[in-house]
Amino acid sequence: MKVVTVVVASVAALVLGAALGALLLGGDSEPGDQSAEAGFARDMSVHHAQAVEMAFMIRDNTDDPEIQVMAYDIINTQRAQMGMFSGWLQQWELPQTSVRPPMQWTDHGHGGDEMSSYDDMPGMASDDQLDQLSRAEGVEAEILFLELMIDHHQGGVEMAQAVLPLTERTEVTYLADTIVAGQQAEIATMETMLANRKALYDPA
Amino acid sequence: MTFRAAGIVLGVIVSTVLVVACSPSPTPEPSSEGIDGVQTYGDLTREHTGDAVDYPQSPPVGGDHDKEWVDCTGTVYDEVLPNGKAVHALEHGAVWVTYTDDADSGDVDVLAAKVEGQPYSFMSPYAEQEAPIVLTAWGVQLEVDDASDDRIDEFLTTYRSGAQTPEPGATCEAGDMA
Repeated sequence: MKVVTVVVASVAALVLGAALGALLLGGDSEPGDQSAEAGFARDMSVHHAQAVEMAFMIRDNTDDPEIQVMAYDIINTQRAQMGMFSGWLQQWELPQTSVRPPMQWTDHGHGGDEMSSYDDMPGMASDDQLDQLSRAEGVEAEILFLELMIDHHQGGVEMAQAVLPLTERTEVTYLADTIVAGQQAEIATMETMLANRKALYDPA
Repeated sequence: MTFRAAGIVLGVIVSTVLVVACSPSPTPEPSSEGIDGVQTYGDLTREHTGDAVDYPQSPPVGGDHDKEWVDCTGTVYDEVLPNGKAVHALEHGAVWVTYTDDADSGDVDVLAAKVEGQPYSFMSPYAEQEAPIVLTAWGVQLEVDDASDDRIDEFLTTYRSGAQTPEPGATCEAGDMA
């Protein structure tokens, strides 16, 4: 009898303790399905995937070692970060994708004009531009790649900056901070690479 | 007595849950508070350059660097590495173990065993450093005199692909980059 009472009390205590704990953590502190964190993770994953796609294309279309190394770096880093986004969503027990339009999670995303396509996210290359990149060769391809990737990185910085004021999750702020700083540094490097190639290349 | 026992159990469980719930989140902050003697350096630039960079620290802890990085997949080098490529490996989250001729040769073997095959680590000789052994990650550095220093393992586990990493997810593989 004593044992039963203790067991019942323990279970009750566990429930109470868990509830109190959840309350102290901010209640529903795990980001929800419509949260900025989940939206950022999903949209940034699509954004990163296109950077990886473009980096693979340029590795096929030029032998320039400087471009090859940069593309290799982008492929590995952004692919790994896609794994982090996916891991967050798993951890938060949320679906990996959503049927909501992209960028709805931002301050500007509520109401107003809705984006209908992922291609409308900041810095995304259009299907035509991707097609062009897949056909271009040599310096022409390098210039196109750098122009597209600089725009793409600027969009990535914009998206990472958009999530920062909307979250206190440290895993999100840490990665968003590194994306802002990292992609800005890569933009500066790519601007130099672009200027060098434009100086050499006369598309007469 | 029954209720008292239950009360104690309840108290213990609630406190445990509360302590667990109130612990800081597992995502680490870039900090060296836990390890004595770690020097930290901020405001490091990180553009690519083909020029040799004059780094203020020996070995360098960060800054502009070469477009390529040295393989840092638990790689033990016998030769001196180019600073610019080593710094790029630091940007990717690697810990760089360096040593001078003053390091005991047995110590060098101990360090090599700690690095060999371990992710996000590399090791090389470095003549122009003050201490016999130095551990470096992006923006942080620790000098030690011998390989038995407990802080070595602490440094390795804290900073290999740690929270100081400017480019989380970047690879240490360098075999097929171009």
